[in-house]
Amino acid sequence: MQCPLSKSLIFMKIKPYLKQVRRLSQLICLVIFLFLFRQTDYTGSDTIPYAVNILFRLDPLVLATITLAQKTFVTLLWPSFIIIGLTFLFGRCFCSWICPLGTLIDISDHFIKSPKTSVRLPYLKYVILIIILISSAFGVQLLGFADPFSLLVRGMVFSIDPVMNYLVSLFFDSVYTRGPAAFSNISEPVYEVLKTFVLPFKQSFFYLSFLSFFLLILIFIMEVFGKRFWCRNLCPLGGLLALISRLSIFKRIPVKVCKNCELCESECRMNAFDKNHYFMFEECSLCMDCLEFCPDNITTFKFSIPKNKPFVNINRRQLIVAGLTGLALPVLCRTNAMSKMPDDDLIRPPGALNETDFLASCVRCGECMKVCINNALQPLFLEKGFEGMFTPKLVPRLGYCEFNCTLCSQVCPTGALGRLNVKQKHAFIIGKAYFDKNKCMVYAEKKSCIVCEEHCPTHDKAIKFNEIKIRDVFGNPVVLKQPYVVEELCIGCGICEHICPVQGEAAIKVVGKDSKMVSRSGYT
Amino acid sequence: MDRRKFLKQVSLWSAGIIITPPVFNLTPKLFGSPLIKPDILVAKGDDYSGMVRQVVQSLGGIKAFVKNGDKVVIKPNIGWDRNVEQGANTHPLIVAELAKLCLGAGASKIFIFDRTCNEERRCYNNSGIKSAMKEIRDKRLRLEYIDDRKFVPVNIKKGKALKEWSFYKDALEADCYINVPVAKHHSLSRLSIGLKNVMGVIGGWRGKIHYKLGAKLADLNMVIKPKLTIVDATRVIVRNGPQGGDLKDVKILNTIIGSVDPVAADAYATTLFGLEPHQIKSTVEAYKRGLGQMDLGKCNVRYLKA
Repeated sequence: MQCPLSKSLIFMKIKPYLKQVRRLSQLICLVIFLFLFRQTDYTGSDTIPYAVNILFRLDPLVLATITLAQKTFVTLLWPSFIIIGLTFLFGRCFCSWICPLGTLIDISDHFIKSPKTSVRLPYLKYVILIIILISSAFGVQLLGFADPFSLLVRGMVFSIDPVMNYLVSLFFDSVYTRGPAAFSNISEPVYEVLKTFVLPFKQSFFYLSFLSFFLLILIFIMEVFGKRFWCRNLCPLGGLLALISRLSIFKRIPVKVCKNCELCESECRMNAFDKNHYFMFEECSLCMDCLEFCPDNITTFKFSIPKNKPFVNINRRQLIVAGLTGLALPVLCRTNAMSKMPDDDLIRPPGALNETDFLASCVRCGECMKVCINNALQPLFLEKGFEGMFTPKLVPRLGYCEFNCTLCSQVCPTGALGRLNVKQKHAFIIGKAYFDKNKCMVYAEKKSCIVCEEHCPTHDKAIKFNEIKIRDVFGNPVVLKQPYVVEELCIGCGICEHICPVQGEAAIKVVGKDSKMVSRSGYT
Repeated sequence: MDRRKFLKQVSLWSAGIIITPPVFNLTPKLFGSPLIKPDILVAKGDDYSGMVRQVVQSLGGIKAFVKNGDKVVIKPNIGWDRNVEQGANTHPLIVAELAKLCLGAGASKIFIFDRTCNEERRCYNNSGIKSAMKEIRDKRLRLEYIDDRKFVPVNIKKGKALKEWSFYKDALEADCYINVPVAKHHSLSRLSIGLKNVMGVIGGWRGKIHYKLGAKLADLNMVIKPKLTIVDATRVIVRNGPQGGDLKDVKILNTIIGSVDPVAADAYATTLFGLEPHQIKSTVEAYKRGLGQMDLGKCNVRYLKA
């Protein structure tokens, strides 16, 4: 059964331009992505109108994983049904028309030379997909290691963006501080414009910047094994879309390569042909290249009802291995010694769900850390084991949680950080402060200070002080203000630890809120 | 010149610049001579803009401070992410009115900035100062975020508690520096008024100077000399300063104080809190250093009627 559209005049007319249209779509999506990335910041308003989190909310893999991990449907993720619907119609068009990572890979192909015959491991993406889905269902969600957008956004947040800003400011700063005034009179206005439109407001600093950079860049390095190596062989989102696309109704013809030509097979960036030169729908990303280089203009696309298809590119053995690995990962993570360790110094961002749900929901996209106005949120390394890697924690000595700011809870795509309004935020406890009297100047050196009390933002201050008469270190009588914490009022924002003027580790420290509630044995 | 020679010269040239940091030598001049009886102008009412105009007029008019083509710094307190009602920052109407006066007097550039305690963008927005400045729409008026590159080390030659600290270049280079503090409670120094407002133009780790704060503030004030001090006492925080937050801690006084003498301005503002000038260490220390008059009996206190 054929849809009349495929043979309609309009389709025939636009057919030669489809590749250009696809490129335009890629470009637009990439620009939107970069724009949203820059917009994921404080823009003068307490609410953030749009942020790069839409990318994750569009991601069906996030939907599938979070639904399995949380055993509930997260309404925030409804936009992913748009992509699912699109895939039912047009197959894996997402990969070549929308995906910003795919676009960047296509761009990188101008610089990285891929071999004619590329390495083909198409089953791997299904293996990865199955491992992620099964281990999520059984308690350990590791999507952040394989989701293309987690890898992309995280790499950009933790390394590309700070490095770019560093290099640009290094140039302009050295002209400004060392160069003659004539130069800086020209360079400073340029810098100003760049700061307004391109650069982030402030230089940010992140742990794991190198690792994130490496993981992202690896995707591009793999292009030396063949074009779109990541998309064809590894991307679990590609795998999921491939499975859905088997039911799609917009297909390329002919189904088999013409004997005397085979151009479309050898030139296909997705390697969408099997050993017998048959076209594999699920591998095709509808890039429309083959329309262009088909010498006889035979290749075309048409609407047709899906019929019985050959088996997916994964055999039973691979399927079983993937399934067992997915089952084993949660057990391995749970029996790791680190999971027994109390999370004493782990301060999660405001709005965070309880630890188990948080780990199940967080996709390690790095957006909360990107948007954090004081660069206070940092990625975990192995403190919480493998499953906690890249999840956010507050590091007060680097930055504190701004009292009136709720941005991180607004950009979280999966609701791992529940959305808070300012009033809720003021009451949300993320940690508790305590004094180290051996370090605090007032106690240890009999000097006046109370900078912590001054900065404590809660409306009934959580840090108060006693005025006492005491002799200082030289024996002179002094009146000192000795600070103390009222635990019931402290919300753990960490500004006291941040501004504590004591050298090295602060004399007042914030620990995670649960540290006193969770007993050492793990029973609550 | 061959390449080797060129590179050698370039590296020597830049090395020379790197290892010689610029150091400003500012000898503090005797400012508040005890022989002069300073004027303290006190205006009360709810037309803040009008009160600012009145106070400045009574001090000799804005032209007495701002000459045509001057670079002016207006230094409000924008330290905290608090709104106008909460009274932790200088009232935007007062800052805006001063900016307008300076523009009218022919200032070539007006810089407004503060090194904030909370995140700077939030402070500038929430304080209402950013939107107030935007409304004026004049290219000469610049509300700027602190640029770390502009902090330069300064030798405080007559400093007693502090011998060296870094200061903001724009503040040092201003032809006219107008201090516009908000008067409020401060847990350590008891009150934060004009002399304390200098904290917003200094670099470094400011928490470090809270030991012997009064003496250090006076030392810092020997470097930054405002030509005019306008104290905002329209809404004052009487408890839980310097950032407050709770409206119960805010007292509405609807008062604006103006003086060319920074110490006298602080001294008078202190009385609004039911305290005596000698109870504020920074005032006493500044007086000792000859920065101004703290004895209100030796000042001309004039009350303006709206």
